[in-house]
Amino acid sequence: MSKNSSHITPPKWSTRLLRLFLRGQYLEEIQGDLEEVYHDLLGKYSKSKARRIYHLEVLKLIRPSLIRKFSGSQKLNNFGMFKHILLISIRSFQRHKTTFLINLLGLSTGLAATLLILLWVQDERSVDTFHEKNDHLYWVMSNFSINNDVNTWNYTSGKLAEALLNNFPEVKDAVRVGNDFFRPRGTIAFDENYFEANGLFASPNFFEVMTYEMLIGDPEKVIADKGSVTISDEYAQSIFGSIENALGKTISWDNRIFSKEFIVSGVFKAPPKNASIRFNIVLNYENLVEADEWADHWNGGYAQTYLLLKQDTDIDAFNAKIADYLTINTDSDRFQLFVQQYSKNYLYGKYESGIQTGGRIDNVRLFTYIAIFILAIACINFMNLSTAQASKKLKEVGVKKAIGANRTALIFQFLSESILLSIIALVVAVGLVMLVLPQFNHISGKELTLISWKEYILPALSLVLLTGFVAGSYPAFYLSRFKPVTVLKGKFSNLRGEEWIRKGLVIVQFSLSVIFIIGVIVINKQIDFTQKKSLGYDREAIITFREAGSDYSNPQPFFNELMKIPGVLSTANMSGDFLAADDNNSGFSWIEGTEDDDNHLFDSPKVGFNFIETLGLEIVEGRSFSRDFNDGVSSIILNEAAVEYMELENPIGTKIGWGDDREMEVIGVVKDFQYGSLHKKIEPLIIQFRERGKQYFVKLRPGSEQETIAQVEKVFQDVFPGQIFSPSLLADDYKSLYDSENKVADLSNYMAAIAIIVSCLGLFGLAAFTAERKTKEIGIRKTLGASQLIIFQLLTNVFTKTVAIAILISVPIGYYIANSWLQNFAYSIELSWWIFAIAAISAMLLAWFTVGIQTIKAARQNPVDSLRAE
Amino acid sequence: MKKTKLGEFEELVLLTVIVLKEDAYGVEIKRELEERLKETLSVGSIQSALKRMEEKGFLKSEFGEATAVRGGKRKRIYTATPLAVQTLEEIKEVRTQLWASIA
Repeated sequence: MSKNSSHITPPKWSTRLLRLFLRGQYLEEIQGDLEEVYHDLLGKYSKSKARRIYHLEVLKLIRPSLIRKFSGSQKLNNFGMFKHILLISIRSFQRHKTTFLINLLGLSTGLAATLLILLWVQDERSVDTFHEKNDHLYWVMSNFSINNDVNTWNYTSGKLAEALLNNFPEVKDAVRVGNDFFRPRGTIAFDENYFEANGLFASPNFFEVMTYEMLIGDPEKVIADKGSVTISDEYAQSIFGSIENALGKTISWDNRIFSKEFIVSGVFKAPPKNASIRFNIVLNYENLVEADEWADHWNGGYAQTYLLLKQDTDIDAFNAKIADYLTINTDSDRFQLFVQQYSKNYLYGKYESGIQTGGRIDNVRLFTYIAIFILAIACINFMNLSTAQASKKLKEVGVKKAIGANRTALIFQFLSESILLSIIALVVAVGLVMLVLPQFNHISGKELTLISWKEYILPALSLVLLTGFVAGSYPAFYLSRFKPVTVLKGKFSNLRGEEWIRKGLVIVQFSLSVIFIIGVIVINKQIDFTQKKSLGYDREAIITFREAGSDYSNPQPFFNELMKIPGVLSTANMSGDFLAADDNNSGFSWIEGTEDDDNHLFDSPKVGFNFIETLGLEIVEGRSFSRDFNDGVSSIILNEAAVEYMELENPIGTKIGWGDDREMEVIGVVKDFQYGSLHKKIEPLIIQFRERGKQYFVKLRPGSEQETIAQVEKVFQDVFPGQIFSPSLLADDYKSLYDSENKVADLSNYMAAIAIIVSCLGLFGLAAFTAERKTKEIGIRKTLGASQLIIFQLLTNVFTKTVAIAILISVPIGYYIANSWLQNFAYSIELSWWIFAIAAISAMLLAWFTVGIQTIKAARQNPVDSLRAE
Repeated sequence: MKKTKLGEFEELVLLTVIVLKEDAYGVEIKRELEERLKETLSVGSIQSALKRMEEKGFLKSEFGEATAVRGGKRKRIYTATPLAVQTLEEIKEVRTQLWASIA
């Protein structure tokens, strides 16, 4: 149209917007005005400023008198169509109340379960990502190869951090912290009050690289010298009453590594909820080096090393470069280094033979699948019920098509109906989520909230749109296909095929439900098994506690005092943790020259006198550690597996060398027992002797446990003043080894229940529909003399067959899944046939029960009522 | 009281339309008013006033010529109706009387 080639067209985007909202009859005039204004603006200002003003002018045109009307022939969007669809949807909800309620209940429970899982998954994924430099923060791991096996450790030499920083240009900064085993705990004393400490040794740049906000103090200097510590705000509150008071105060700290005084130099904000590592006090790593020179030695493994890598570092290339770095610096070629993103370690923390094989991510995935399945089941309900009611909607489709609606419009209408339903379901679901969130947090051990709903609104909405679309797609495309002529004549030719699809969907639903039932039975059986299996030692009525101070004097006086308490049956001690089963050693030599000799990594707990007796380990040969024989560090006891592994014919008296200059003698053999959790096989074990371990075990006389524990505490406080007494039952500690499984079990119980209920709801709806459609048939059959039982069979047969097929399909799948889950355990239950039988029978009974309620109603109906009405 | 009222801004726009005669179209009205009021006005405010007054029967309009700077789009030329002229005079009358009573 433009006559003048020098005419400059205004920004297209705004012009397009203008066309969208401006009333049609004003378009030419106002668009012209705007172009003229734009032309003027170009004369006065720069192009960008002119454009900006133009955009503003367009926006300022959005006024009631200028934009399109909501109704009439010049309406904004398809408002009228929306109004019509909304009306039709609401009317159809009102007309089919049962169907609507079933759909709403199903979808909202499904959505609620999905939302909960979404919240949980998001929380799991957020762990450790709060560090500002998260993208470039890496954790140095080491693969330790021994005997064709590779162990992956998250700790490395204390020297590594600095060496990597100095020798690799990719490394921008490097932090070392004491590893999990070298965490200073114990107690802090201030003003004659004692506080439990949870400390961390860290290099001075810790607070610069990691993001733990410093409230008071300079992050670069707070732990620059050995005598300074920083404490968390919560800790400062409880010790000093306020964080301001903390600064400059002197505290004394006693733990198993050191006993010293420190000056508080800063206060940091306590690690957030989604931090994988928690601590309330941080001090300079040099303190650890001072206590134990191996902490700064190439052959030690006392540190965790975190690296801040430069932006464009190629991780694979970097891994290749550092792989052999330890070999160069130590005399061992068994170590291979690699880096893993710091925040990934939480979810991907499991390694097998040096290869990353998952970790918590497995549970995240499992629950994501469960969420998808539950939602799928709910969607299937919707599809089934709407196709089942197709016959009722056929007339509507016919009439609409006859007066000119095209297929797209009809598809749109049906999709809108299902999306509307899922939006209503979302509102209900959010309510449900808020209702059950405290309970869910209790089970999952999280502190999830809906407060930050802004983050979830988008995923939730897209979830709803997706649900609405998936649920509505089949009915939409199916119903809109009908030919108006056939439909209006009253012929439904292809109902048979439709019924098949419906059956297929019910089969899918029930297969999933049966798989859920199988899963729940297997998980619960296995948990039960782990709790009840005989482990080869006692764990009932034994309390265990740690004395966390720096005092390593002879524990005998403490034992003597304890034994004076009438409720105490026996006492023992060891060094390290018994249930964690993480104490191991290599370098044992029993036959010179074989490959395993010297190289095998043995589990090797270090226990004191009376340990074997207190825990009830059974001596099968020889004797236990005893004062009468003056046993010391050169006495060892093997388990049967070790005897077999070492191929010792006469184990008692066998000399075993350790390292270069130690020789030890086997004094006894214990029966194999479960060292650690059942995830682990019983391995060859060398029990060593340490008289002064600080993990104590007290066996209590049954009946007066509470009283005895109070007395034990009193003795503990007398002997170890200032130490904190926190006993736990060995049985409880053992249970907590399966925390992760217990949580999975609890959650999957609930989720399975939801899945099954939603499936049954769908079946209920279908049964109601079938019964309704067959009202006449039932009436005629009854007048001809059919009994109620025959009617009942007539109506249930179809469903029985469908559910039976579902069972046939799901049992092998369920077997496969259960079997692969049980592979996580070294000792697991047998997958016996009855587990599957129970799952199958309960699914069948549930189906019959659900269908039964409907069919009995139909079968009891007086045929007169059903036949009279036309 | 009058049934159809004329807002203050509408009154200004209406007067400008009368002043501009056959040049009374959107942008020209905007330019004229901006100069007289010494402030920037948006196309939207002028247009919505014009449309409102057309609906109330104060203005009539017809398409004028198209120009190059308008990308070939036609102008819409506004003219005041006798009702508008009458209403303006009544308003002026009321104001004059009021000023007279102050003095």
